Amino acid sequence: MKLIIKLVTIFSLMGMATGKTLDANNKVMQIVKDAYQACYYAGDDAQRKARMQIIDSKGEKQLRQFNIFKKDVVDGGNQDFLVVFEKPSDVKNMVFLVNKKVEAEDERWLYFPGLDLDKRVAASDKRTSFVGSDYYYEDISGRNINLDKFELINETDKEYQIKATPKDPSQVEFSYYKMVIDKSTMLPMSMEYFKGEALYRKAEILEVKNVDGYPTVFKSKISNFESGSHTLVQFRAPNYNIGLAADLFTERSLRNPPASLFKK
Amino acid sequence: MKEQLFNFAINKPKWVFGLVLTFSLICGGLIFNIQIDTDPENMLPSDQPERVFHNQVKEQFQLHDMIVVGLVTNNKSSVYQPETLKSIATLSQEIEKINGVIALDLMSLQSVDNITQDNGALRFEWLMRSAPDSIAGSEQIKAAVDRLPLFRNTLVSADDNAAAIYVPIKDKDESYRISKEIESLISQLESEEDFHITGLPVAEDTFGFEMFVQMGISAPLAAAMIFVLLFVFFRNLKFIAAPMIIAMATVIIIMGLMIGMGFTVHIMSSMIPIFLMPIAVVDSVHIMSEFADKFKHNSNKQLVIKQVVNALYKPMLFTSLTSAVGFASLMLTPIPPVQVFGAFVAVGILLAFILTIIFLPAYLMSLKDDALKSLSKVQTTASKLETVLPKIGKISFGYAKWLVAGFVLLVALSAWGISKIEINDNPTRWFKSDHKIRVADQVLNQHFAGTYDAYLVLQTDLEAERSNLDEIIKANGVAINQELPLGTMINEALQKLEEELFEKGDDQKIENAIESLEQLKTNVALFQNPENLKAVELVQQALIDTGLVGKTMSLADAVKTVTRELKSGDDKDYRLPRSQSGVAEALLQYQSSHRPHDLWHLTSKDYASTVIWLQMKSGDNQDMTRIVEAMQEYFDKNPLPENISAKWAGKTYLNKVWQDEMVQGMLTSLLSAFAVVFIMMVLLFRSVWLGLIAMLPLTITITAIYGLIGWMGKDYDMPIAVLSALTLGLSVDFAIHFVQRSRDLYKSTGSVSKAFSLMFKEPATAISRNAIVIAIGFTPLLVAPLMPYVTVGFFLATIMAVSAVVTLFLLPICLKARGGKLL
Repeated sequence: MKLIIKLVTIFSLMGMATGKTLDANNKVMQIVKDAYQACYYAGDDAQRKARMQIIDSKGEKQLRQFNIFKKDVVDGGNQDFLVVFEKPSDVKNMVFLVNKKVEAEDERWLYFPGLDLDKRVAASDKRTSFVGSDYYYEDISGRNINLDKFELINETDKEYQIKATPKDPSQVEFSYYKMVIDKSTMLPMSMEYFKGEALYRKAEILEVKNVDGYPTVFKSKISNFESGSHTLVQFRAPNYNIGLAADLFTERSLRNPPASLFKK
Repeated sequence: MKEQLFNFAINKPKWVFGLVLTFSLICGGLIFNIQIDTDPENMLPSDQPERVFHNQVKEQFQLHDMIVVGLVTNNKSSVYQPETLKSIATLSQEIEKINGVIALDLMSLQSVDNITQDNGALRFEWLMRSAPDSIAGSEQIKAAVDRLPLFRNTLVSADDNAAAIYVPIKDKDESYRISKEIESLISQLESEEDFHITGLPVAEDTFGFEMFVQMGISAPLAAAMIFVLLFVFFRNLKFIAAPMIIAMATVIIIMGLMIGMGFTVHIMSSMIPIFLMPIAVVDSVHIMSEFADKFKHNSNKQLVIKQVVNALYKPMLFTSLTSAVGFASLMLTPIPPVQVFGAFVAVGILLAFILTIIFLPAYLMSLKDDALKSLSKVQTTASKLETVLPKIGKISFGYAKWLVAGFVLLVALSAWGISKIEINDNPTRWFKSDHKIRVADQVLNQHFAGTYDAYLVLQTDLEAERSNLDEIIKANGVAINQELPLGTMINEALQKLEEELFEKGDDQKIENAIESLEQLKTNVALFQNPENLKAVELVQQALIDTGLVGKTMSLADAVKTVTRELKSGDDKDYRLPRSQSGVAEALLQYQSSHRPHDLWHLTSKDYASTVIWLQMKSGDNQDMTRIVEAMQEYFDKNPLPENISAKWAGKTYLNKVWQDEMVQGMLTSLLSAFAVVFIMMVLLFRSVWLGLIAMLPLTITITAIYGLIGWMGKDYDMPIAVLSALTLGLSVDFAIHFVQRSRDLYKSTGSVSKAFSLMFKEPATAISRNAIVIAIGFTPLLVAPLMPYVTVGFFLATIMAVSAVVTLFLLPICLKARGGKLL
């Protein structure tokens, strides 16, 4: 009898534990999804201008300037990005197009006006530098949410602290990263990437403003502590729900993105 | 002065001992602050223009010192096998973790990117993040490497039998430790391949370590050997302890002073003990020979000492002064370690002289008469020398004409030999040929394009652009940091104006300024211009055409590789884009890799200067000189585009620079020392003829030594260059003693023949003893693992032999000429 009671207790405790884990898991996934929503899916479509400064350990500076357009195919799911370079002037009108797919490999294209060439980019490692900056391609279009396991490690009045561990560590250079998500905007204000236990890379949101009801990033920074370099990005002239045409995000428009879209 | 010193020594021996001991202890204590410096770069003063430029280039292009780890397969199989590739991948990952290694810039198959085509799509990926498990996978890696000109024959040899890992390090002084850690990682691999570790920083740091060991082994061994030889001659331990104490005290005080004054111990100064010891011993042996000789006939110690010191004071003072001048002349050579060496040896010689005339009498006075008794028996043990030497005297006079003819022939042959001398140096060759660093150097250079590097920097002064920028920022009231490179200054100005424009919303003036700045930026980016890159390509071809450069790498190679993959991926598209924006696009793509920073090892961030990497199989200064000269010729015939100039940097090049300065400097040193010594001889003997005669042994010895070097085909390198000073110092010693003593004996006997028959007794014995003690005493150097020590050991013996022979055979003939009128 005693034994049965014991067993029942153990099983029920186990059941409770599992249930709790599931709940916790649901909760953390919801937080992460909300953060992705705030970060990448604000508005059905959007446009903004980005000015990037790449500053190396010696203080040498490089500049990049481009327009980013995005359109959600499915809210919270597939979406398209178009990045059109303005500066440096010798790469003006270079274009980078991403058809981001949650369940399949993204499709990526590049257009080089100087070489008179458009080129598909094969599905491969997205954790390579974005045009020489400390940003990775993956930082621009968002890392696929299915690639990591998330864990809520702390919660305060103002923020969630989440630890993300890659499901396949061989595919990435980090062993885990920590996100701090602001409860009021759900934006990931900081993301710290670790190699082993050593912090080697940090992404921060430095300035947020409300635009058309959407908390919008105006300034962000990524630092690489291995190379001692960092990249600052200022975003300007954000616009949401402007009715971008779907065919803007196809190979055909690479060579001629509609001029009407570019504002100073 | 002489009297006072002498009386002080004789009357207060304990004071003398106390003083010598105190100085030795104080200076000995300072030796513990020793700082070893093996960086050949320090052969040049830190403000030397080529050295300054070299360091600017290193800083600007972030070119780190590199350790090269080579893997060579057994029985000539390919490295493209799963097992071998696994060894490379594992080793590379482990080396990255070593403290002091710059993991970000480590280059191996495991750490670099591949750019390739995948069904017509562009693909960036790690070349080999983890080793493949199949032969097919290995073959894929081979196919990729063969298509990447920056890696082929650098990461894997052209014959596929060897692979390399390039390990950049933060501090070259740590390369010995890091190479040891790499060795231990290799031993844990249980791999069947042969591994080699090389690279100039390892060679230098290992040299420093072994030099330190040698200072602890070679110098004491030489001291022990000299001690044994002195014992053979004098058979009296207490007696011969004196020169050993003098030599030790001299070495300790001088090294202590040098280290205490904050000088680092360089390869040159590490040899100070080895140079000072024979010189210090030589003076004592003169006194002791004379003392032992006289003591047999007269047992009043004080009187004998006084007589001996009186007789020897003048020649000893002059030999010391001339030897000191010989070494001090090295300070005319514009190479700091050689200057320090010359200065301290010179001071050491004078110190040895003072110690000899103070300490030796004091020491002899404090010895009990019993302790010196055995000296009377020395007659028998030294009898061999004393029976042979008078015969030499006879031979010398009997075959005078033949001997003179012989010496003339020797000088002629030597002069011929000198014309064959090859001026060359290579720090790797400072190791013996069977040293593992030499072996690694040889094996890796057999397989690869070369492990020695140099850089050819193409740049422009940018003055016009700079003043253009100044105008724009002044006109628009922009404040920027003037210390930054031009490209960054333009970017700062751009950024500030853009912000101003954003705030104002619309302003034609600012917009115009921004446009001008953008144009300026394009103008500054010289090496995004295809025409200039074409010039880079041609320079690369010219470098290869010298036949001395194994491989070159440049920005043009990077642009062409990316362009090929952006286009068809076929060889036909391995070419420079037609427009500047095409180049800019290709370079932006190059930066879209895992290692965007690699680009900045090839170009400055504003593309205003670019560096061509040279890989050479030889680190010989001679080969570097040939390349530099060939390229100068090329540039004369094929001028670079307007405003672009080429300048050299890199360790191998710097070695060439200091070699040039050294040869020239040594020649000046030698000639000026020669002149000064001659003047001193004339003053000493108050006769131009005697001065000339006294110069004969050193002149013939130096000619013979360098003639021998020429005939042996031994390169004239740093240790050889310094030997001239030693030769000068030691050969003149014998000559002064011989001439001065002959003169004294001629005066006291009044007969030339009597004077010379006496000369071939004690004075000739002292000279011969000295020659034998020094020549044999330094034979332990011959087994040192470092070539400069071996060289010094060998030539020390040769110098002694030649100068003793010249002194004993030729000088009597010359002095006796004209019936002794010269005396």
